[in-house]
Amino acid sequence: MSGGVDSSVAAALLVEQGYDVVGATMKLFCYGDEVPDRPCCSLDSINDARRVCQTLGVPHYVLNLEDAFGHDVVDDFVSEYSRGRTPIPCVRCNTFTKFRDLVRKADAIDARYVATGHYARMIDGALHRGLDPAKDQSYFMWGIDAGVLPRMLLPVGHQTKAETRAVARKIGLNTADKVESQDICFVPDGDHTKIIRRKLGDSAPALSRGPIMLSSGEVIGEHEGYARFTIGQRRGVPGGFPEAMYVVAIRPESRTVMVGPKEELLGRGLVVREVNWLVAADKRCRDRRLQTADRSFASGTDNARDSTFSVQIRHHAAPAAAEVIRDQDGEIELALDEPVSAITPGQSAVFYDGDRVLGGGVIEAARDAGVRAPLPILAA
Amino acid sequence: MPEPIYLDHAATTPVRPEVVEAMTPFYGPRFGNPSSLHRWGREARAALDEARERLAACLGARSDEVFFTSGGTEADNLAILGGWRARQAEGRNAVVTTPIEHKAVLGAVHQASREGAEERLCRVDANGIVDVASFDALTKTGVALASVMWMNNEIGTIQPIATMAGMAKERDVLFHTDGVQAFGKVEIDARKVPFDFLAVSGHKIGAPKGCGAAFVRRGTVLESLFHGGTQERGKRPGTENVAAAIGLARAAEMACAEREREVSRLRGLRQELEKGLREKIPDAVIHGFGAAERAPHIVNVSVPGVDSESMLMALDLQGIGCSAGSACQAGTASPSHVLTAIGASRELVNGAIRMSLGSLNDAKSVERVVEVFAKLVAKSRGLAAVAS
Repeated sequence: MSGGVDSSVAAALLVEQGYDVVGATMKLFCYGDEVPDRPCCSLDSINDARRVCQTLGVPHYVLNLEDAFGHDVVDDFVSEYSRGRTPIPCVRCNTFTKFRDLVRKADAIDARYVATGHYARMIDGALHRGLDPAKDQSYFMWGIDAGVLPRMLLPVGHQTKAETRAVARKIGLNTADKVESQDICFVPDGDHTKIIRRKLGDSAPALSRGPIMLSSGEVIGEHEGYARFTIGQRRGVPGGFPEAMYVVAIRPESRTVMVGPKEELLGRGLVVREVNWLVAADKRCRDRRLQTADRSFASGTDNARDSTFSVQIRHHAAPAAAEVIRDQDGEIELALDEPVSAITPGQSAVFYDGDRVLGGGVIEAARDAGVRAPLPILAA
Repeated sequence: MPEPIYLDHAATTPVRPEVVEAMTPFYGPRFGNPSSLHRWGREARAALDEARERLAACLGARSDEVFFTSGGTEADNLAILGGWRARQAEGRNAVVTTPIEHKAVLGAVHQASREGAEERLCRVDANGIVDVASFDALTKTGVALASVMWMNNEIGTIQPIATMAGMAKERDVLFHTDGVQAFGKVEIDARKVPFDFLAVSGHKIGAPKGCGAAFVRRGTVLESLFHGGTQERGKRPGTENVAAAIGLARAAEMACAEREREVSRLRGLRQELEKGLREKIPDAVIHGFGAAERAPHIVNVSVPGVDSESMLMALDLQGIGCSAGSACQAGTASPSHVLTAIGASRELVNGAIRMSLGSLNDAKSVERVVEVFAKLVAKSRGLAAVAS
């Protein structure tokens, strides 16, 4: 229970359904004086969670997961940026903190289930997208150990955010109209370079000057630290070109930020590591032709319920048809049917079969940037 | 769920019915302000004076040596900061203390150091007993004030206060002792032991939270923390909490009258508890076990491989209330600075549970606690075996 409306309502729904609920707020870092008030993860939010539990008549504990979180989430965040990648700490938190370390605490009190306010659904023991496509958070949950799935309850995933707020108001939860947190919980003011600076010092390569370069090798400007950039970004890229220019690659070894026009953002494939499967091997649809899913997929039209296998490379990207062309030692290479823009090392590649999450991994690299001939269609 | 068991008396104690009874008139007809000239005031003044006398008697002190405060923390702050600040004119700058003090003392000492004090920490041994030779060496020169708690609230070890107070006196060093846990458990007599300051807290001995007292030996110069009134001889301005003072006095009298009997009872229970725990969990570590003098009611136990946070939750859900370390602002249990100071390993520090016995416990509670605790340890170890 973060103190936000989603987890508050999740708890309330479970109480209503007759579960014996214990509320737990994770303390993930020291709140200290330097952290300004914000919607999530502040002392106020802990108090909000506590009061919600009081309203619901259930026990509430604040659990100290600072060390584990620092190690598994924050340190990884910093090291990924140092490597010129763009991490998703929420994925690490779900994988290691919420659905592993917190589950151990649940074991200590004989709790059968662990519930959260995530917008995703457990259907027949399998993880699915949330009903509300605008709020779907299943993208962040690919890393959860499959063994934990049978113990997960995701009560609000079956409704829209508006419905969740309505429930909160009806029950009289004080968090009903709370502003949603958009930032990474441990990044004050939304400035992620502060954490990097704190951990690695001012002279860290990721925060040091370096060249901005075109694919031709021509240097067109200077940047103040490649950690300030991510693939597909326009902010900070020098202007004065006939077409819009984007960050297309980061080369940490030379502190170079590569920029180019839109076409150079396209990738025809990607390599994915740290792969985690949430389904048994026979359900992974490997070596099957993946069908293109268009954006109407997200609105829940029936054709999306057909068995399709897609990979989503960003939280708000449309799922894309792909074919697995290599799978060994936990590394997968996929070839995309159609080029996809801004495949970013460090982001997650999440595999879906319609609404069902099959698994995912961390994007290691894009492959074959630029246009390439379509692959032959394999027999079904 | 079976009858809940409160095992956290070192954190706070229930208010005794006799104390409530003594206080009630002062929430009723006897509501006057002791500073008022009229009959309501005089009546309150008389009651306050009487309470002061009775509390002083429990401490071997004179009435004018007792100052009512809002609790132990304020009394500690008043003594340490008030005493140290008053000596700045003389050029005595250092404060000697120990790493196992309560945060109220450490916080006050830290504030003094921000104001220019030199902080000196005595060595403590693995049982949490202050190394007297270390105290001796550190208090030799330039010290304004020394502070050593009488009985440690986390591990229960009792310090050789008489020896250290005597040393301090010889060197004209003000000696403060945080008596919050000790009062009512050991004999505290200002005529026998030459401490200059002593802090006492009501809610540890059956009085309400929000009341305490500072003993300040006659003739000791002290700067007040608050400014603006003449109450408590100008040392603690603010309209006196008359009801609380009466409650504190009543609780103190009862605690002192029952002390020997109750200490004996608690010690017996504590020994049963320790015996039970060690029998069922042979590798359990009881912190401070080897100390010469220990609190009759405190057992601080670590079980290797078991984390205290999970344990406290599981115990709570079984109706048993214990504690661990001190709570941080966010409300989580932080690793104990006391255990760290006595050299306990990280693993043991992370697993420490403090059980503190008191009026709400009897032999049955001890039996059940041992049983439940042992079961939870076994389960935790079983889970750990599976996880690895």
